[in-house]
Amino acid sequence: MGRLRYTISRLLQAVPVIVGVITITFFLTDAIPGDPVQIMLGPSPSAQQAAAIRAKFGLDRPLYVRYFSYLASVVQLDLGTSIYYQVPVTQKIMERLPVTMYLLLASFTFALVTAVPLGIVSAQRRNEPTDHISRVVALFGVSTPSFWIGLMLIIIFSFWLGWLPSTNIVLPWTGPANVGGASNQLEVIIKSLQHLIMPMITLGTLQMAAFTRIERSSMLEVLGEEYVKLARAYGVSESKIVRKHAFRNAQLPLITLVGLQLTSALGGAVLTETVFSINGMGRLIITAVQNQDYQLIMGTTLVFGLVFVIGVIITDLSYAYVDPRVSFDGSE
Amino acid sequence: MSEPILKVENLKTQFFTEEGTVRAVDGISFEVNEGELVGLVGESGAGKSVATSSIMRLVEDPGEIVGGTVTYKGKKLIDFEEGPDGELRRSSEMLSNEQMRKQIRGKEIAIIFQDPMEALNPVFKVGAQLREFIEINRDVSGKEAKRIAVDMLREVGIPEPEKRYDSYPHQFSGGMRQRVIIAMALACEPDLIIADEPTTALDVTVEGQILDLVDELQQKYDTSFVWVTHDLGVVAEICDRVNVMYLGEIIEQADVDDLFHKTRHPYTEALLDSIPRPDQSVDELNPIKGVMPEAINPPSGCRFHTRCPDARTVCREVHPAYQDVSDPGEARHMVSCVKYENVGYDDAEPLETEATGAFGGGLVEARGDGQ
Repeated sequence: MGRLRYTISRLLQAVPVIVGVITITFFLTDAIPGDPVQIMLGPSPSAQQAAAIRAKFGLDRPLYVRYFSYLASVVQLDLGTSIYYQVPVTQKIMERLPVTMYLLLASFTFALVTAVPLGIVSAQRRNEPTDHISRVVALFGVSTPSFWIGLMLIIIFSFWLGWLPSTNIVLPWTGPANVGGASNQLEVIIKSLQHLIMPMITLGTLQMAAFTRIERSSMLEVLGEEYVKLARAYGVSESKIVRKHAFRNAQLPLITLVGLQLTSALGGAVLTETVFSINGMGRLIITAVQNQDYQLIMGTTLVFGLVFVIGVIITDLSYAYVDPRVSFDGSE
Repeated sequence: MSEPILKVENLKTQFFTEEGTVRAVDGISFEVNEGELVGLVGESGAGKSVATSSIMRLVEDPGEIVGGTVTYKGKKLIDFEEGPDGELRRSSEMLSNEQMRKQIRGKEIAIIFQDPMEALNPVFKVGAQLREFIEINRDVSGKEAKRIAVDMLREVGIPEPEKRYDSYPHQFSGGMRQRVIIAMALACEPDLIIADEPTTALDVTVEGQILDLVDELQQKYDTSFVWVTHDLGVVAEICDRVNVMYLGEIIEQADVDDLFHKTRHPYTEALLDSIPRPDQSVDELNPIKGVMPEAINPPSGCRFHTRCPDARTVCREVHPAYQDVSDPGEARHMVSCVKYENVGYDDAEPLETEATGAFGGGLVEARGDGQ
């Protein structure tokens, strides 16, 4: 079938993209002004110490040698050792990545679950009060910086009302022993949700607003299509037209946008993690840059690149599953 | 003859836009008898499509049906009465939107749209779409609906219908898609099919095939048709009776032979003249002069007078009555033109119009066969 072939070809296309990401990251990192050895050893290190450190991290070799040896180790899933943390980069990433993915997944779920119904209702009741309210909400969401939303939420719900914790995040699958104040898994999950709500809204509001707008406009467009008119002319009820005949077609632009918003959400995660002191990928990348930790910068950037590439592939594949014209080529 | 199955009386549909009220359909009346194929002809913008979507009550905002009566087999699809405040309101006999949807659309009256490329949903299989409409409009099980769908696809000339049932619309050509749409209409077993320029988007050979198919199926199922088109060639080929529309009004109505051979209205005459013939070069083509005025502010008197080769001063002042001008013993032949009224056309001065070009031009061409 066309879909399987399409899936495989899409996956193969990702390989050169990832090699490109590695290459660009590698040379850009090297081009950053400043010297990691200097940061590590303070302002005036002895030449001997510096040489030892350089040798330890392989910084004494020529650039092209380092590039190819890095490529080779990446293939073996070895991203080197972090200069700052003194542990393997992969270990640090495995520790932090689940936190960020959890946050991203939650905020996209929040955005989609609110935006899709809101957009559809808005389109159905065009220019009625419901539509105006949803458009104001969307405008607010698009034009408000996420860190400001985060700070406001902290002030209101943590500082004034004391309802929600303002820092850190708890993964729902953490064992009860590792979570203070939890005696069983259920309590861990409840705690995890309490910690999640504010970061999720902070990161998800922008996506929600963008999704609502695109859902409304694409639904409006689809509801004006000939095939919708035809369904009406054959006595299909209005609610079934929205649920069935228009729904799938109206999701196509949204799917594209979800994939594209992944980049801005990764950027947003850096801010959100900073505001809520969450130890995720965002804060890791900031630490890496601040300390000129070459291996860590390259590792985290590579992972962000990978996440984005995977996001785009998922977008393309869902597109193919929703719209048969993408995966099946040629008409008869 | 028995009662017509569709009777449209004085139907009015208007669009309330920011620029003003567009009187897209302005009091049209026509009938369709059982098994009859009735044409609705006119230039783009004459209001043909609005008329058909009004009959189905599918006019979209900002359009609104504001008056008239449409009777289908005794049921009032559209009916207005005068309320206590003197304003027109929907009468109690008029079907509700739910009744319209459940009893009429698809089940009794089906529609075929102009552009087959846009009328099928791209994300669903052709068979599934066909089957859904059959299930809605006929009391059959899903399995039975599928069987009917496959039979109908075969009937309209789709090769290997069992296989094509599971194809997506983009795997069909335009002509094939229009066959599917026709299959949809017929499969629901309606008594009336409204075809809104169904062959306009197709190329000529495919158009010919589709017309033959419709002709054949119409005779087999004895379905009545309202056939909307701007193409008089199509009209001549398939219609029994023809209504000619201009700017929201029907200005002539006759049996198809009478319309072509005993043309009464100058507009119809101009339409017939404008059909290209093989012996003409481009320079010799004889299109209707000028463009159709906007329905937002139609010309006074006869709406066609601004482009009419026969226009005289009286045309600007008197709105012609729609009346029967047939000779005794002939079929009814309705026309609205002041030439056939006793309002002083013969004595009036010719009018300079887009068609006459210069003063007096109309005098030469005018036939002056008023009563």
